Amino acid sequence: MRATAPKPPQRPAMQEPDEFDKLYRDHVDLIYRYAHRLCGETESAKDLVQETFLNAYQGLKDFRGEAKVSTWLYTIASRACIRMRRKRKGQPEHELSIEEFVPTSEGEFRLQIPMDGLSPEEALQNKELRQALDQAIEKLPQKYRMALVLRDMEGLSAKEVGAIMGLNERAVKSRLHRARLFVRRELSARGITHHGDHKSGGLRS
Amino acid sequence: MTKKKTALPKKRSGPSSPRHTHGQGHCVDLLRQLSAYIDDELPSDICREIRRHLGTCPNCEIFIASLQHTVTLCQHHPVPPLNSADRANMRRAILDGANAR
Repeated sequence: MRATAPKPPQRPAMQEPDEFDKLYRDHVDLIYRYAHRLCGETESAKDLVQETFLNAYQGLKDFRGEAKVSTWLYTIASRACIRMRRKRKGQPEHELSIEEFVPTSEGEFRLQIPMDGLSPEEALQNKELRQALDQAIEKLPQKYRMALVLRDMEGLSAKEVGAIMGLNERAVKSRLHRARLFVRRELSARGITHHGDHKSGGLRS
Repeated sequence: MTKKKTALPKKRSGPSSPRHTHGQGHCVDLLRQLSAYIDDELPSDICREIRRHLGTCPNCEIFIASLQHTVTLCQHHPVPPLNSADRANMRRAILDGANAR
């Protein structure tokens, strides 16, 4: 059975497709960014954007406007992402425990990353660092990745993330903390020493 | 602007600083609270206790700095922009899909 877009309270029907066009125009970049961060690559992100807006189109007439439109779309996208992952039959999700992130050797405490004197944007011009970060995020089990992406990358509050993921704030913070520890550990295991590709390491779509 | 509670303690000046062996129970307790500490969500007395611990445990100090760097990198994680052709193609595909359903 197909899951539908989250049911918002009733309000007068929207004038489709004009209202859809406005919804799409105003939010497609936001949802693409979110999808790209969740999926880790362009084609899957585009699939997720299409699935999200297709569901939004169908749910548009029921949208009551109580939640922010962006929150509604984030919720639709998150559910679509979970459904798409189930279809792909990926590896089963596993729980992350705090204990597994306790460093056991001296080298595990610090990040071997060239960041001194650089802004985060400048540091992330380093292609090797960007790839390491991408891979660390991609390795996260989905429910932790979603919390990290929504909170730290999309900049939503824990309350908003909870509304989107159907969790209380405490659960959001717990997942976020484990996700951060996981990414930190992955980065600390990589020795990134290459400084020189700031000019050539730009992003490509 | 209020001073952030998460400011890391200043570097200790010399070998006379009190140290302990990392890995004792307190360090693991601290590990559980680091995100809340970074996000300024802890009561001030717990923050004070954490800062006191960081002053005696270099490894915890290094660890929390590395977690803070990780969060900062995530917050600035770039995404390649969507080009206008893809934007238009997806819109067309969505409307086609909606009509087909």
